Amino acid sequence: MIKFITKRLLIAIPTLLIIIAFGFIMMRVAPGGPFTNERVLPPEIERNIQEAYNLNKPLYEQFFIYIKNLSVGDFGPSFKYKDFTVNELIISGLPVSATLGLSSIIISLFLGSFLGIIAAVKRNTYFDYSVMSVSLVGICVPSFVMAPILSLFFGLYLGILPTSGWNGGSILNLILPITALSLPQIAVISRMMRASTIEVLNSNFIRTARSKGLKSSYIIRKHVIRASILPIIEYLAPASAGLMTGSIIVEQIFGLPGIGRYFVVGALQRDYTLVSGVMILYASLLIILILITDILRAYLDPRVKI
Amino acid sequence: MQSIQKNIKNNDLLLEVNDLNVFFNTTDGLIKAVNNVNLSINKGECLGVVGESGSGKTQTFFSITGLLSNNGYCKGSAIFKGFDLISSSKKERMKYLGKSIGFIFQDPMTSLTPHMKIGDQLSEISIFHDNLTKKEALKRALEVLDIVKLPKLRNLITSYPHELSGGMKQRIMIAISLMCSPELIIADEPTTALDVTTQSEILNIFNDLKNQLGISIILISHNIGVIAETSDNIIVMKDGSIVENGSTYNVLTNPQDKYTKLLLSCIPPWLDV
Amino acid sequence: MRLLKKTDNLEMSYSLKGRSLWVDARRRLFQNKAAIISLFILIFISIISVFGPFFIQYGFIDTDWNSIYQPPSLENGHYLGTDGNGRDLLVRILHGGRLSLSIGVIATFVSVFIGVIYGTIAGFFGGKLDTFMMRVVEILYAMPYLIFVIILMVVFGRNIYFLFIAIGAVEWLTMARIVRGQTISLKEKEFIETSRALGQSNTLIIIKHIIPNLAGPIIVYITLMVPSVIILESFLSFLGLGVQEPLTSWGVLISEGSREMETAWWLLIFPGSFMVITLASLNFIGDGLRDAIDPKEY
Repeated sequence: MIKFITKRLLIAIPTLLIIIAFGFIMMRVAPGGPFTNERVLPPEIERNIQEAYNLNKPLYEQFFIYIKNLSVGDFGPSFKYKDFTVNELIISGLPVSATLGLSSIIISLFLGSFLGIIAAVKRNTYFDYSVMSVSLVGICVPSFVMAPILSLFFGLYLGILPTSGWNGGSILNLILPITALSLPQIAVISRMMRASTIEVLNSNFIRTARSKGLKSSYIIRKHVIRASILPIIEYLAPASAGLMTGSIIVEQIFGLPGIGRYFVVGALQRDYTLVSGVMILYASLLIILILITDILRAYLDPRVKI
Repeated sequence: MQSIQKNIKNNDLLLEVNDLNVFFNTTDGLIKAVNNVNLSINKGECLGVVGESGSGKTQTFFSITGLLSNNGYCKGSAIFKGFDLISSSKKERMKYLGKSIGFIFQDPMTSLTPHMKIGDQLSEISIFHDNLTKKEALKRALEVLDIVKLPKLRNLITSYPHELSGGMKQRIMIAISLMCSPELIIADEPTTALDVTTQSEILNIFNDLKNQLGISIILISHNIGVIAETSDNIIVMKDGSIVENGSTYNVLTNPQDKYTKLLLSCIPPWLDV
Repeated sequence: MRLLKKTDNLEMSYSLKGRSLWVDARRRLFQNKAAIISLFILIFISIISVFGPFFIQYGFIDTDWNSIYQPPSLENGHYLGTDGNGRDLLVRILHGGRLSLSIGVIATFVSVFIGVIYGTIAGFFGGKLDTFMMRVVEILYAMPYLIFVIILMVVFGRNIYFLFIAIGAVEWLTMARIVRGQTISLKEKEFIETSRALGQSNTLIIIKHIIPNLAGPIIVYITLMVPSVIILESFLSFLGLGVQEPLTSWGVLISEGSREMETAWWLLIFPGSFMVITLASLNFIGDGLRDAIDPKEY
């Protein structure tokens, strides 16, 4: 097991480096630097700024300096938010995004799987049709359409939920953003789970289980669930990636001071270090999730060798 | 054409199927897979059911045991020890299935749950039907593995299906059906997926089950040789109906029906059936 | 009295000609009412997007400062209302439709093309080549690709053609993975061995046997991918990184609409509805295709 994890980690590190390098090159190669949009500065001041931010050194040297700083956890100063380092910006936004993201993934996984299994067992009944209809809505209405509509309906017309602001993380403020964020994922997961469960229910080994005269609920618990949940495990990483990108929109629409917002602003203003920092954060998270996925898959399916 | 064989000693009658018809709802329309089947089997008897693929032989017994797929339904009666399996509720039927009636499926490779240990897949039956504890059930599992001549290895109980060979898996399937000491076992093409040596070992096990334990067996196969070796009586099915019915000796030596004759003529003359 | 022959392995029979599975599939598809209705809706939307603007008196960039923020009405000719610049919403939605739909189709085909070639090669030849190719895919998969696309868009300017490339570059990964998986399982099937025994070259086997049998899952995934591409494009446009003025897409319109929704609900609801209906149609068609090709009758 340990060997498995170490092997995966060893692959992960170069992957991360490649991602960082890519982002780095992209940003540097882009037309226009972080300061080109501002007013023209006298040459000495410009030279000083260039030096302070290491912009006058050759590219590969800049890269090495960056990696060196990264390894001690220093993401560097933000080019645009001049009084802050990227670390500070990320840390300030992290609790918001983390709360949003974590709640959404947990709700999506559990609610989605639960609905999917029941829809499969009660296939072609009203329950099944309603679950599938709701999930269709979740798939066809993207988060950036759903979020304003929810905001409009519950916030403005009904007036029962706040439409923006973090408010120290109060639950009321969280309800709408989490709903808007998780709905597409719940939709996808419930469909996936339903399809997978139906396939398992039609399989030969479930037929054997039935021929043993066992109770349906027992068969579902012991034989079906573990066999049908595999695709969901595989979907964990893409689901999280989806939530990460969705959070960018949701944070913007609901005015939540999270990391996603910094990313967009940074990208538009060519704040190299900020954008790099956020990208590294998200990429590392995904790599860890992929590792967790691999471990879970090996645990659930005895045929997979560790 | 369909001679119903009535048994003189009626308290020996284990299963009696009357006017069984099985239908399927498909996108091609309503399809009748089994047409007016009548059969009976006594205690300690082995009934062979011969027919080619699509003759309805499997669906006949799926319908009796309630294992039909969702788009199928059946009409008729199947009286097992005085209890009609077809007209009763699912709950009632479940009391018999797995306990008094065992089913062995055709494809051992995919018929076992991949993520459960063999021991668990065996013991859960006794835990459910006979209310045994886990320990007692595992002990019974070891007994049953002995009957199917699988080595009494501790690690067989803790291994997973994918670690076993086809022949071992099929024996596990037989073992599963034996856990609660059934009176009837329905075996659907139990040797089709296996090689010839394993096949003969499995057939020997069936003969032992019949002769030593008195279990009635319904053996379904498209292979006349297999049927001839094990069965007391034979039913020949074609296109959902029974075309010939009688004792093995009679059917093989003096077939009445055209199809049966055709079937028998396909056996190479040097085979000692 | 007909009987149904149970074919245990439907995949095997994909390669049989004659009353092939395609004929069966087509028949099943036409029986699926939801899919057929959706197909008509989709065709309708496509047609009005392409030809509609010619029949409307307003151009999509015509501003009219006398009729800003007009709600939908039948009299003044602005059937769906106007926006803050007095531009007619209906004609803008139709123009947006042209862009969103064409991006959906083109980008999907780009990614399918790349993905199929990549996946078939990796799956068919296996070994070290496969390991290497899939490693690359894994690495790319680990990248939060949308983030990546955003960076690409920012860096290389908001060029419409680059949008196609960026989206295609991201979506081919899933297709490659699926294709590879299918190729691997197809490779082991007996009919491939038969072809080899008959002496057919690898290229021939790939073209004649593997790719046609991939058609089923590929078609299904195409219909799932097009909506996802449309959403991706809209997402980028929503953030201001995708389609730029004066061009418009549904994403841009929804973005504008969501900002003005409190005073001009029609600016959000109508483009949103068009998009949702299109996506829903694509989904029904995709489901219909999937059920037609691989029916699960029970």
